[in-house]
Amino acid sequence: MSLPTGSIPFRENAAQAIRNEALRAAMRNATGVFAVKRADAVSAVPLEEWRDKASETRLQVLDHLADYVDRFAKSAVRAGATVHRAKDAETAREIVACLLKDHGIQKAVKSKSMISEEIHLNDYLEKQGVTVVETDLGEYIIQIAREHPSHIIVPAIHKDRRQVGKLFAEKLGCAYTEDPAALTKIARAKLRQEFLSAEAGISGANFAVADSGSLVIFTNEGNGRMCTTLPRLHIAVTSIEKIIPSVADLPKFIRLLPRSATGQVVTTYLSMITGTRKAGEATGAKDLHIVLLDNGRSSIVAGEYREMLKCIRCGACLNACPVYQTVGGHAYGSTYPGPMGIILTVLLEGMERAHTLLDATTLCGACADVCPVKVPLPRLLRRLREQRTEMGLTPTMERQGMAGFGMAAKSPTLFGAGQQAARLLWPLARKIGVKGTLARMPIPAEQPFRRRIS
Amino acid sequence: MRVQLFVTCLIDTFFPETGEATLRLLRYFGVDAVLPTEQTCCGKPADSGGYRYESRKAAEHFLSVFGRSTDPIVVPSGSCASMVKNHYPELFRDDARLHAQATAVAGRVYELSQFLVNVLKADRAGLKGRGKITYHASCQLTRELGVKEEPLALLRSLDAAEFVPLPSADRCCGFGGTFMAKMPEISMALADEKLDTILSTGADTVTGCDHGCLMNISDAIRRRGAAVQAKHIAVVLAEGLA
Amino acid sequence: MTQDAAIDLFVENAEKAGARVVRVSSAHELNEVLSGMLEGATAVYSPGVTPTEKGLAIPPDRSTEDYVNASACVEEVSAAVAETGSLVCSSQGGKPVQAGLLPGHHIAIVAAEHVYEDLDRFFAALGDAPPTNITLETGPSRTADIELTLTIGVHGPDRLSIIVV
Ligand code: SF4
Repeated sequence: MSLPTGSIPFRENAAQAIRNEALRAAMRNATGVFAVKRADAVSAVPLEEWRDKASETRLQVLDHLADYVDRFAKSAVRAGATVHRAKDAETAREIVACLLKDHGIQKAVKSKSMISEEIHLNDYLEKQGVTVVETDLGEYIIQIAREHPSHIIVPAIHKDRRQVGKLFAEKLGCAYTEDPAALTKIARAKLRQEFLSAEAGISGANFAVADSGSLVIFTNEGNGRMCTTLPRLHIAVTSIEKIIPSVADLPKFIRLLPRSATGQVVTTYLSMITGTRKAGEATGAKDLHIVLLDNGRSSIVAGEYREMLKCIRCGACLNACPVYQTVGGHAYGSTYPGPMGIILTVLLEGMERAHTLLDATTLCGACADVCPVKVPLPRLLRRLREQRTEMGLTPTMERQGMAGFGMAAKSPTLFGAGQQAARLLWPLARKIGVKGTLARMPIPAEQPFRRRIS
Repeated sequence: MRVQLFVTCLIDTFFPETGEATLRLLRYFGVDAVLPTEQTCCGKPADSGGYRYESRKAAEHFLSVFGRSTDPIVVPSGSCASMVKNHYPELFRDDARLHAQATAVAGRVYELSQFLVNVLKADRAGLKGRGKITYHASCQLTRELGVKEEPLALLRSLDAAEFVPLPSADRCCGFGGTFMAKMPEISMALADEKLDTILSTGADTVTGCDHGCLMNISDAIRRRGAAVQAKHIAVVLAEGLA
Repeated sequence: MTQDAAIDLFVENAEKAGARVVRVSSAHELNEVLSGMLEGATAVYSPGVTPTEKGLAIPPDRSTEDYVNASACVEEVSAAVAETGSLVCSSQGGKPVQAGLLPGHHIAIVAAEHVYEDLDRFFAALGDAPPTNITLETGPSRTADIELTLTIGVHGPDRLSIIVV
């Protein structure tokens, strides 16, 4: 599948989102709840110490990423898995499709995975005639609505209960209800049949452990466990930077991920899958295939944005971001929204397409405050803006204005002249003003301060 | 004691009365505040906009003007103070000479409330105020400079004024420098939400340490016709001087 | 931390996560408590692998081999972690880990000496060659995917009971 061309119309999307009252209310509710829960969950723990240690471990992996990938692959194979390396999205999709075809499988259950969103796996498999059933309730809602997730942890965060009720009534043919518990029961019954009959399970992984070859999956609903233990074939699609060195490193991340994501001490289920079902065992897929996606990460890790790959996809920076809170995830027009999403999208999809997202931040820094692995999000955003300028992707007017600013800033005389000109031209400029911004600012003072007192 | 005052281009151009209030305050505490007249802008708009070349021009100029003396540099703006303190060294990451200069100057920079409290102990001077005041904690001041308590200490110390805390005080007001111009819809939506919380406190004045934010909030106030005023903390404090 | 303190902490955290926890001191007491918990359960599955499981008094007329359609699953789990209030379900010894997931009521028995104080101690003991499947289970299955309203019992059990022996 080719990506849409042109750059993402973020401002237009955002302007539309702002007028959508239902969306605004849903986002306000959800991000507000998350902020409170997270703050509660980290209030009585040595958070700074945890963050430093977790960040250190992530950097340790990134410093030797290629080695860690090899180590993980070796361990996984030793435990009985088959490991596939996919250099890009297309390769990864094909590997999954081929595996299903080889096994003669036409239907798979799937637990939530952002990597599968990144590679647009579902669309691709459907075109190949494979039915994919999303089993995470949020993903299921999104799937039957034929939408894309608007949050990396809570895919249907933008929908309220009435919208879900209507959707279920329409698509599943059940009686309308807007009671979340009743809606959950309906989905449970539908999906239980799917689990029991599915021959393949597709999952992602929150972490991959180099020394043991284990995949670690966090879920609350239990769908991750079901997708990975019930069907005979399990395909896990994950990206190379999810690797951590050893089992002993897990506690660091178990302590931080759920707390940062949903404010839970730990998710209800934390599954660790190591290889395939052995003789005498009654659990585990008979066939486990792990697809390790690179998709640009090997080159990102070698460059100045490497720290972005420390990210453990907790979603805390989305919840904390005033822009995300206001416009929701779809406005970003990308797989990953919010502060981490802006950076990842530029890195994964290219500056030409994603440079508009670089304006989706006030650089307030609220994201960096909450990031459990200390990704320096504002600094990376500023660097990417510099790169955008160097690539000549900013508007001509802005470039000329900045060039003028640069000259004036180093010459007090020119600067003074500029102030005077601004004062004189302001009334006129205001009328034709740049998107009305000048109208939102006061008129320059008759005499600048320096002149007044000197 | 002598200090150099960097008044910031925003105050210089649009809010000279804030510059005057800053001077009066410093003088009240016996500080000899020198205003280098060749000062222009710290380069923040270019820096956050991604114009490294231009922001370096501004930064080099700043270093040459304020590097002449070793007196402390007082800045009535959290974001401009942070620009000099935190971003200059980053800006000159590949130029050893300028990096050294930037680091030296960075060590002498104080945001106004920081200087007033930590150096002048102005929160123990029994300054006067009036009305009911709430406070917006601007982003760079709070997160980059780590100045959280100083403005609160000053405002709480005011005689005859009532300080009311602002809910989610450190949530962004939507100014964001060039963001205000490039994403006006979101900028206004955030300013509107900020105004909602301000009005919920019943304060008649909202203050802060950054004119950028106060300008954005003032615009929200104007659009809604709300009966509250946005004033720089220097003005609030100077109003009570004899 | 003493083992007793670790057990207390485990009980506290498991209850916080929504599990019902009972402590017993003999096999006799265990079966008494169990029969109370099984009230109303029509089809009870138990793997019968460990000695403790073998000694369980499950009424034969309500016992089943089919965990998929069982209403309750009674099993001994391999360990517990006090820090998080989690149970450790392991595939070691041929146990079907999924059996604890499908029935609506999961009744887990854990030996007091298998309660680990924290995650570090547990994972250090687990080492780098874990069994095929290890699941840490903390409270009943839940979701907050609709308006962040907490709903218990999505795909997994909606009731979790724990007996510490
Ligand atoms: S960047 Fe940090 S806060 Fe954002 S999703 Fe990644 S780990 Fe979480």
